[in-house]
Order: sequence, then structure tokens, then C-alpha cells
Amino acid sequence: MSKELIQAITEMREGDALKITEELLDAGGDPLAILDACREAMDVIGGRFERGKVFIPELILAGEVLTQISAIIKPRMAQEATAKKRGKIVMGTVEGDIHDIAKDIVVFMLDINGFDVTDLGVDVSPAKFVKAAQETGATVVGLSGFLTLAYDPMKATVEALKAAGLDDVKVMIGGGQVDEQIREYTGADAYGRDAMAAVTLANKWIGG
Amino acid sequence: MQIIGEKINGTRKRVAQAIAERDTDFIQNLAFEQAEAGSTWLDVNAGTRPDREPDDLVWLVKSVQAVVDTPLCLDSANPRALEVAIRTVKQTPMVNSISGEPDRLAGILPLVAEHGCPVIALAMDEKKIPESSAKRLDVVCKVMAATRAAGVPDAHVYIDPLAMTIATNTGSALITLDTLRAVHQAFPDVHLTMGLSNISFGLPGRSYINRGFVTLAMQAGLDSAILDPLDREMQAAILVAELLLGRDRHCLNYVRAARQGILG
Repeated sequence: MSKELIQAITEMREGDALKITEELLDAGGDPLAILDACREAMDVIGGRFERGKVFIPELILAGEVLTQISAIIKPRMAQEATAKKRGKIVMGTVEGDIHDIAKDIVVFMLDINGFDVTDLGVDVSPAKFVKAAQETGATVVGLSGFLTLAYDPMKATVEALKAAGLDDVKVMIGGGQVDEQIREYTGADAYGRDAMAAVTLANKWIGG
Repeated sequence: MQIIGEKINGTRKRVAQAIAERDTDFIQNLAFEQAEAGSTWLDVNAGTRPDREPDDLVWLVKSVQAVVDTPLCLDSANPRALEVAIRTVKQTPMVNSISGEPDRLAGILPLVAEHGCPVIALAMDEKKIPESSAKRLDVVCKVMAATRAAGVPDAHVYIDPLAMTIATNTGSALITLDTLRAVHQAFPDVHLTMGLSNISFGLPGRSYINRGFVTLAMQAGLDSAILDPLDREMQAAILVAELLLGRDRHCLNYVRAARQGILG
């Protein structure tokens, strides 16, 4: 049955996905298995998106379906059985840049893969990144920037994190034209070309 | 309909490379092609790091001016870069752009006023891009108060109502179209302009969307646009819109274009 659920989600059949979820729960199905199916579906959708087969509005629709499924499941999950978050990540678009669509997709993919993501939004100063990392205890910080003038704020943020003593925090950058040269310039630990790369990096650094 | 050719933009990888390598031929070719295709203005954007931008922008201006007479549209948020570039141009350039952001107005408006430049003004401020046409009109009113106070004629101002992608909000085009109409009504002498590709970001078949959008926007008052002048289908869409809006006497431009094979 969970295979049917995965298919309903990946084929953007909202009504079917919700109906199957209800049926699974009524038949005594494990809520965590349903969440796993959701994550598997999102992996498929994410892969198709990166290959240009699925488009942004469909990603948003899938997100809405998942939110509705979560709402159906939550009341039926025992306290102890609540899915544990695998690690903490702070995400944001750097100072001076307000592009957010790609960042939002990364936040979404990290969230569905079990990470506890704090999204600081756009035009985020280095100080704000540092504060969030300190307050949440995040071990990964993701910097997004589309404009070429984002590179200096990225560099400043990496330096601010180090200056605050947060040497163990890993930094990944993404967006626009980032490459190895930019990564080196900014001092970030890694760069990603797409949302799936962000997930891969988070998995590598946080594990579990 | 004024066409602002968009291709010489340093945020594009290939152009960034040409700027870094001082590849004059590449830039001059882009300038020539766009001029031949009927651009009214040529946008030049050096898109590089702030410390290199003034030199890069001056180099772009000199390279382009050497081969075409089309007036330039200086695309930069850096007052230093604009200042040195304005001193290098052969004819009065357009400036791209100011907005409701106080820093941007303070830094760039004086230059615009001093040199009598037409100027593109974005309908956003430091609080980012307003999500309703009423709020965008508010920002435009703020900007117009500033341009008028600085002695810039209304006819020198090109308001860009901004277009967010329809992929994340199916009301995006309607907001932009409403803003165009509202600004046109409130400030009849200003020009209206837009970059036409943002509306389709994240969707397939982007050129269909962009063409449909320019048609609707021209009906709402758009009289200039930042686009790829070599895009034949876009060119055709604009010709058709001008025709249908009663601006093509005896349908002459349209028929001529058809004869020249521009309509494909």
C-alpha cells in the first residue's frame, strides 16, 4: 500500500495521496512508515526536478501534500514515536541578496530528509547567521546567493563564524554561479549545484 | 516600443569570461548584433565584484561605443562604477537602476539629475518586493517624489513594476499588470519597462509565457522592455501587440516585418 502512496505523491495526485494515507492509518498502518514513504516520494521528485522533468509549481504542490499528510498523521503518532530530527542546519540567503526560490527548495528537501532546519530568510547579515548557529547549536550552515555580489557576504559570514569560535560548524554554499574557485574564495567547506547536493552534504557531515 | 538589449550582462558566465579576459571581439559582436536587430538602448552590466566593477564597466562602454551608435543603458547599483562610466560615454546614457531603497536613491539619483539621464526605477524598497499592486504603487509614489524633487522630468523615468515568477504565485502576472495600469494612471508621463523573463522562471516553455506576458503588459501600458532583441518570436509578439493596439499605421510595420521574414 505504501508503494501506492509513493506513486500518488510522485504523480501529483493530491486527492489519492490523502485518501491512501487515511486508509493506511485506518488499517493500523505505522505512521512512521507513511513518513518514510513521503521521503522516498520526495527523493524521486527531487531527482526528477534536478533533471528538468518536474517543475517548481509541482514541487510546491508536493510540499502542500506532505504538509497535509503530516497534519493527518501527527495526532495519531505516539509521543515517543515522533520522528526524531537528525541534526540542526541553519539556512539563509546572504546579505544584499533577496533571491529565495532555490533556497526554499533546499530547505524543503533538507527538512523532508529529517534535518531540523532554521530558515533565516533573505538578506541575512553574517552576525545573524552567527547568532542563529549559536542559539540552535547547528553544525551545518548553508549560504545561498544568486548575485555575483553575494560572494563577499559569503566570505564575511564564514569569517564571522570562525571569529565566534564556531570552528566545528561546516559551511556549504550554493546558488547562481558557484564553483570550486568561489568556494575557495569564500572559505566555505563545500559548494552544491542543486538541492540534492545539499542533502548529500548534510548526510555526509551529520550522518545518522 | 523601446527595446533595451539585454545580452551584454556580466552575470552570464560567457560574458563574465569575456570581461575578465578583455575579449573585445566577443563584446563588440554582441553589441553589433543587438544594434542591427533594432535595439533602442544597449544595456551594459559588468556584473563583477565591487572592486573591479568600475574598470570593467568603463571597458565595456569603450568597447561597445567603438562599434555602434546605439545609446547605452548603464546597469549597475554601484555609484562609483556609474560615475566613471558616465564620464566615458559619448552620449547621454540611461541608468539602470534606482528603487525606493534610500541608499540607492541617495547614491545614484544625484548622478542621474546632474547628467540628465533617463533612469529605470524599480517598484521595491528596503522592505523588499511588495506583494500587492497597491503597495508597489506606494513605493513608486515615494520614488517619483524623490525624482521630482531632484529635478528629473517625469518623461525621463522608466518605472519597472517588477514581475515575480508565476511558478510560485499564480497571481504574479495580475499583480504586475495592475501595477502597470495604476502607475500609468497616476503618472501619465512616465515610461513603463520590465525585464520579461522573470515571469516564467521555473516553468517549461518559457518563451511562450514571456511572449504572452509582453502582449498583456503592452495592453496595460508597457512601452519599453529589457529583452533579447535577437529573439524573433518575441519580436513578432511585440509587432503583433503594436498592430492590435492600433499603433501600426496601415499595418505597415507588421507587413514589412512579414516580408523581411522576421515573423518566421
